[in-house]
Amino acid sequence: MITPDNIEEVTEFRPGKRFGTLFILLSAVLLITFIFDIFLGSVTIKPAEILRILTGNADGNVETIILNFRIPKAFTALAVGIALSLSGLQMQTIFRNPMAGPYVLGVSSGASFGVALVILGFSASFFAGNLQNIGNWIIVLSAWAGAGIVMILIMFISSRIRDIMTILIIGIMLASGISAVVSIMQYFSSETMLKTYVIWTMGSLGNLSVGQLKVLAITVTAGMILSIASVKILNALLLGENYAASIGLNIKFSRLLIFACTCIMAGSVTAFCGPIGFIGIAVPHIVRNIFRSSDHKILVPGTILTGSIIMLISDIISQLPGTERILPVNSVTSLIGIPVVIWVILRRKNETGVF
Amino acid sequence: MAAVNKHIILLDSLRIGFTSGKRITELTQPLRASSGGGELIAVIGRNGIGKSTLLRTLTGLQEALGGNILLYDKYISEYTRMDLARTVGYISTEIVRASNMTVLDLVSLGRFPHTNWLGKIDRDSYLAIEGSLHKTGLADFRNRNISELSDGERQKAMIARVLAQDTEIMIMDEPTAFLDISSKYEIINLMLELTEEGKTIVFSTHDFDIALNQADKIWLLLNSGILEGAPEDLVLNGSFDHLFDSEIIGFNSNDGSFSFTKKPRKEIYVSGEGIKRMWTEHALERTGYSITDNDNNLKVIIPEKNNKKWLLEIKESTEHFDSIYELTQRLRE
Repeated sequence: MITPDNIEEVTEFRPGKRFGTLFILLSAVLLITFIFDIFLGSVTIKPAEILRILTGNADGNVETIILNFRIPKAFTALAVGIALSLSGLQMQTIFRNPMAGPYVLGVSSGASFGVALVILGFSASFFAGNLQNIGNWIIVLSAWAGAGIVMILIMFISSRIRDIMTILIIGIMLASGISAVVSIMQYFSSETMLKTYVIWTMGSLGNLSVGQLKVLAITVTAGMILSIASVKILNALLLGENYAASIGLNIKFSRLLIFACTCIMAGSVTAFCGPIGFIGIAVPHIVRNIFRSSDHKILVPGTILTGSIIMLISDIISQLPGTERILPVNSVTSLIGIPVVIWVILRRKNETGVF
Repeated sequence: MAAVNKHIILLDSLRIGFTSGKRITELTQPLRASSGGGELIAVIGRNGIGKSTLLRTLTGLQEALGGNILLYDKYISEYTRMDLARTVGYISTEIVRASNMTVLDLVSLGRFPHTNWLGKIDRDSYLAIEGSLHKTGLADFRNRNISELSDGERQKAMIARVLAQDTEIMIMDEPTAFLDISSKYEIINLMLELTEEGKTIVFSTHDFDIALNQADKIWLLLNSGILEGAPEDLVLNGSFDHLFDSEIIGFNSNDGSFSFTKKPRKEIYVSGEGIKRMWTEHALERTGYSITDNDNNLKVIIPEKNNKKWLLEIKESTEHFDSIYELTQRLRE
């Protein structure tokens, strides 16, 4: 029974309190990076300009940059960070594999394949010009389908092979196989389509039309709601499927729910921003190390915040503030994510089997 | 008094096995067994006979090939997933591995079938979790990472998880495998305490001593089905002879042990009393001698006090030995 003597233990059951400070801190960092992302770039906007924009007295150019370019791009970064990190977290839990992530296991490649089919294949006969003219939902749906096929393949393989590294290698093989097929398609496609496709593969947060941003916002919000709704399922899956089933989890339904959620989020991002690597695999590990928890009630919101922050930082770096140049955002995320992945692999040498 | 008709668990012509594609592998003849509840049931049988499959089928993790399982006089197929999870808890040999998971996290997951969609720990759940931590002696381990637990502590944590799940029936697949002797008896003791409180525990084991000395009932799983009864019943009706096809191992109904049926080399007479006599006889039988009541020309005299030596009389000569080991070394020659 709860008595004055063990009241301290009672409060331990409200993890929100224990992690409150961390969440407030992360939210503050998110706000700051978001603001920095808007004001830093090839044209650095001074704080004084902010007031002028707010009061409607701004210089027309600055206002255009902020409203039409910087703000949509910052929101895109937010959506991309959330979507990729959450799908990485979900994949790591459902596969019980620390090396899982949408990019490394080929899910992003699957989505790219779907998009490539649309851009390089069918669209040549139906649509003229560039990506903007192809229906946004068609691109997204084909990305989901491509991502879904790879997810099913990986699930099928991982139910037979337990070894984490083997699955990782198979994921890389799948990705290479898909890129080989895409190369063949490139060989047979028109020059304009090829150019559209190559630019798309470099990954960009800044080329989304208002319509595309809307689609991205809708799908990522849906994925986020599904993720929050599935925290209990994800926690149960930490036990492994047998124990999870024995405590009352419907394994087939849960798998389907989480797969759908992952494919929707990773697929939508890949469809509009290109394949962006290593965010999905790295962020969940960073979050686990910040919060030192296995509870998805903590990890899911933690991942949403941290994923956004890291993606915003990547975007700030890719804009090379103060210069006229822009780096492909894909390279920046890889350079941030890869060291984290290597660190996880090296640490596993000492704690075998633990993720 | 009439026999108790109430069954907590009833296996009615239950057929267990696997289906892979169109191929069906049935492991045994249809099984019939029951439990009146509040007891410790040991499932024993040779490797590969289907102990784990039976336990998984009982937990609802695996489909039966045919026949029925009734829990509390209700078909297992009539239970909803959640109702079943509130009735039967399960511990397999699989080890849970998750980074940053504490004992408290693990035990809290046992509340899964009782909590809301977010898994919020309410007052009832809190009390159930605290209760199971205290009962298993893990109260001070609550914030310990599960990867840092010893095998025995980990098994206790798994039991605490099922206790938090608050099921009347607990199914455990080899709960004492890989444990050292003291942890093994701690776990068995905990299981006995739980059955005294009314839980029904079905566990599989290869540890015949534990099954024979601690279980209230044994389900002896054979190709021909289940032979069930109190361990002593099975000893008396010779059921354990079915456990081995081989002729070199035999079951000794006098002391409930298995031993190699060696041809005795020679008969030997032992003179002396007490615990030293018992263990000396043990050693002699192990070495391949049979103990005789007739004072013959091969005789061992047990030392009466600590400082004396074992004496071996062969025909006319007498030899002295400091230990049983030296004695058996000589007798092997």
